[in-house]
Amino acid sequence: MSSQFTPMLDGLTRQRGVRAALVASEQDGIVVDSSLQIGQSGDRVAALAASLYRKARLSARAAHLGAVSFMQLEAPMGRLCAVGAGPLVLIVVAHASANVGLIRVEMLRAAAELPALAGGSAA
Amino acid sequence: MVDDVSRLSDVLARDPASLVFVPLGEALRRQGQLDIALRVAVRGLERHPHLADGHDLLARIAVDRGELQRAFDEWDMVLRLADGHAGALRGMGFICFQQGRLDEAEQYLSAAAEASPGDEGLMQALANVRAVTVSDATAPVEPSSHDERFLFVGVLGDVDQTALLLDRDGLVLGGAYLDHEGNDVAQEVGAELSGVTDAARRATRHLELGDWSSIVFETEVAVVAMAPSPDDGLLVLATSRATPLGLVRRLLDRCAERAARWLGERAA
Repeated sequence: MSSQFTPMLDGLTRQRGVRAALVASEQDGIVVDSSLQIGQSGDRVAALAASLYRKARLSARAAHLGAVSFMQLEAPMGRLCAVGAGPLVLIVVAHASANVGLIRVEMLRAAAELPALAGGSAA
Repeated sequence: MVDDVSRLSDVLARDPASLVFVPLGEALRRQGQLDIALRVAVRGLERHPHLADGHDLLARIAVDRGELQRAFDEWDMVLRLADGHAGALRGMGFICFQQGRLDEAEQYLSAAAEASPGDEGLMQALANVRAVTVSDATAPVEPSSHDERFLFVGVLGDVDQTALLLDRDGLVLGGAYLDHEGNDVAQEVGAELSGVTDAARRATRHLELGDWSSIVFETEVAVVAMAPSPDDGLLVLATSRATPLGLVRRLLDRCAERAARWLGERAA
């Protein structure tokens, strides 16, 4: 089943090294849509990534640093990236060897489209 | 930036007397190639010993190498060659701050702010120094070198950088987190970041990514980097957005080493 987010998520997962792309609610981490490789649990990834992003956003607010744009968690065997757009957060899981600069650009571009896409879902 | 280095190197190779050694040395410094940057700067200054920007470059390389006295001397030379040089005044203010000479730091940074009006980074740096000065004047604390708020002063690269060490509950162990008005918001930031270490660990375990090494996020005015510290603690570093990401990582590593050493000393 596809949603209005599916083409955007499929576009992200076509990037080299990207294992999964999801749109989730920032507040509760519930998955809105996802494009996952077989064998992955999107629910848990979304909940944990949205929680990390929310903590980053709230700490930035406490420090008067302005809005958070891009966040990435690094580990030896991969990265977890997140970009917020209003009540939604766009999440990507990538291999360590993936080009994070390119992924960042694509995520920021996709996140700019999220509010319009989300508005479409409400209509 | 690699292209910049290549292009500028070609220009310098064609004309060794070119002033292009200054941007080339700066590009190399930003890449972290400090030994090569130092050679470029020294050779350039052999040809142009009275070039203020050349000495300014040498001073910035010296700071990155941890040679603060050399950096101070070079910036002192810059001021002799170019009175009111904002970069030199800022740098000398930074070194005085590092050494706990807060009154001098404020004087240099005030002069830098006058020489470079509208520089928000400088205004923030000045606010940071004034906040610490006022706090020191009103609080009956130990000398600054033993004050836990100064835990990372010796390893940070500029006064608009700030670092904080939190325990597993988000409580502040050391360092400070100064906002753009110089207010220490460490407790508030710590409270919001409580649980990050656990969430990061669970995420990387679930995704089979190995142990997490860092979390970096960008905001409108800053880059914030976090790393795990001993006993499930969290190290938080904030820098201006102008700081290259490679340098942010190096600073984070240095802060992590400092935090681990300090925690070890406390436990001993």
